[in-house]
Amino acid sequence: MMGIEIAIHRYTLTSAFGRGLAANRAGLASDRSMLSTHMLADGFSCAIGRVSGIEEVDMPGRLARYDCRNNRLAQLALETDGFGEAVAAVIREVGAGHVGVVIGTSTSGIATTEAAYRSPTFAREGALGADFPYRETHNVFSCADFVRRYIGAQGPALVVSTACSSSAKAFVAAARLVASGTCRAVVVGGVDSLCDTTLYGFHSLGLLSRGQPRPFSADRDGIGVGEAAGFALVGPPELFGARGGLHLVGAGESADAFHMTAPHPEALGAREAIGAALCSAAWGPGDVDYVHLHGTGTPHNDAAEDQGLACLGLAGTPAGSTKGAIGHTLGAAGMCGVAFVGQGMDTGFMPGTANTKARDPAFHSDLLLAGRPGVIRRALVNTFGFGGSNCSLALEWRP
Amino acid sequence: MTIYVAGFGVLGPGLPDAEACRAVLVAEESYQGGAVRAPVAEGLSANEARRCPTTARYVLDVGRQALRAAGWDAAGVATVLSSGSGDLDILDKNCRALAGVPIALSPTLFHNSVHNAAGGYWGIATGSRAATTSLSAYDDSFAAGLLEALATVAPGQPCLLIAYDLPPPPALARVRKVSAPFAVALALSREAPEGPCARLSWEWGQATGEGASRMASPALEALRLGNPAARSLPLLRALCNRRSETLSWAYPEEGALHVVTSFEG
Repeated sequence: MMGIEIAIHRYTLTSAFGRGLAANRAGLASDRSMLSTHMLADGFSCAIGRVSGIEEVDMPGRLARYDCRNNRLAQLALETDGFGEAVAAVIREVGAGHVGVVIGTSTSGIATTEAAYRSPTFAREGALGADFPYRETHNVFSCADFVRRYIGAQGPALVVSTACSSSAKAFVAAARLVASGTCRAVVVGGVDSLCDTTLYGFHSLGLLSRGQPRPFSADRDGIGVGEAAGFALVGPPELFGARGGLHLVGAGESADAFHMTAPHPEALGAREAIGAALCSAAWGPGDVDYVHLHGTGTPHNDAAEDQGLACLGLAGTPAGSTKGAIGHTLGAAGMCGVAFVGQGMDTGFMPGTANTKARDPAFHSDLLLAGRPGVIRRALVNTFGFGGSNCSLALEWRP
Repeated sequence: MTIYVAGFGVLGPGLPDAEACRAVLVAEESYQGGAVRAPVAEGLSANEARRCPTTARYVLDVGRQALRAAGWDAAGVATVLSSGSGDLDILDKNCRALAGVPIALSPTLFHNSVHNAAGGYWGIATGSRAATTSLSAYDDSFAAGLLEALATVAPGQPCLLIAYDLPPPPALARVRKVSAPFAVALALSREAPEGPCARLSWEWGQATGEGASRMASPALEALRLGNPAARSLPLLRALCNRRSETLSWAYPEEGALHVVTSFEG
């Protein structure tokens, strides 16, 4: 897509690093992995990135039917870093009808339906009861519906659900709503929560790491699933007084058109997405200071991403994957990437690749094992999902 | 901004294709409903066709219809896929597997359960590596998809909107009502197609007292209300009758998407 320019006025992130930007910044600087061990029913031991405090969230009575792990996680993040207050101020300024909500999620609140299928009621009746809150918890749209009601936005609301590229694509959909004049501001989010569907699903495909995920290392053997929620308040730069800071200045979207779960062997889809992001931002490869890798830690995905970067002249650009630290947060991965890059830009820090001891010698990328001080003015955030859905975001810090 | 409708495809009860749909929508009262033709999943290998879920078959069927009507190749055409509930049949099977002892989740059913699975099959079947977005806004999914598709269209960037929903399996029938299968595809571009054609202009604004545009025939109105994708029927009626009018979709509750249709040639 050509001609994207939106300011990311405020943002917040809650992940396995903790609640809020300060906790996530400290987590990145520590190079630590926050993943814990989780045993599946067949004895397989995997790593998960769990957010603490979800069980204690107190949801408002008027939204009681929306109560599920995914929406609790969303509320926890909305109430962090003054994000809710910043949204309220923008709603007062431009009017609730001009503020949209675009959330990226892959899991939605499916854990609620998983539990209901195990209940004695389901065993007895063979069906969910009429009072089961499917619409408010599990339906794909649930999280955007919850968020718009929680913050009082009345503009267009939708969920983008394209597996692991969901929240990166939510930023692009929000940019389109702003560019078309439909919205003055948009609350973009990425929210994905731990559930059995993803844990056992990735296990069934042989894509879970047997221990800790090690992105871009020669002995990488799969992912660790994580959960996270992040939000960004975006709009045209002039809405926020044309102050500097984080901006989305380009994006590339593509499809692999190859296989449902395996990336294209010559990384065609990834190359097209990254190339289109560069083209849309009018950048050459030398303009990019840092790449936040998709870097899941599966053998094929990392190889395809490394090849895609090398083909586009980005092999010499410092790059890191944060999935060894907080896990693969699936639909929230793009939002995590934006927040981590934004924090790196603010503090002059390039995030490294927790858990990885050495880069695969067959790879070409300039992989940062440990985080290090460094100025990031322009960065790419890569996300590549199941179904071959790819999205790369071009972010720029403006003084 | 003016956007052209270069063609459309449809599949629903008694509506096997665009031509049949045209015959029905110029004489609404004649609509009797009826059986749904089996969707055609063209362009997949035998293996992929075996794995392809029903929802993706509907997407491939109506999407191909719209491409043929527009005279377009799939390459370079962005797609927006909109569905209120995705594939509830697969969801039901996966949740049963997760409730079983031992847990035996099928890898194929897992990857087919992602909301963008149909978008993945579209790329595999057509070879198109163009951008594809899958979204949901529950019962307002057609309006949300149309809005995203209209905003995606740019000079030299055509877009295919495909909206679909299928009835749930019995285990979910009390928590999600979808009365009949329905899928629709619209081929949208900034460039005027050759010959007589339909134009759309649009804006998002406040909901009017009328709320949403409706169908006159009770059977078609029931279909419109019974499936999120069938909320497209008033637009299809305007296209089939070459009727210039303002159509509205209340979305979410307080706002509305307003579309004005007009015709050339």
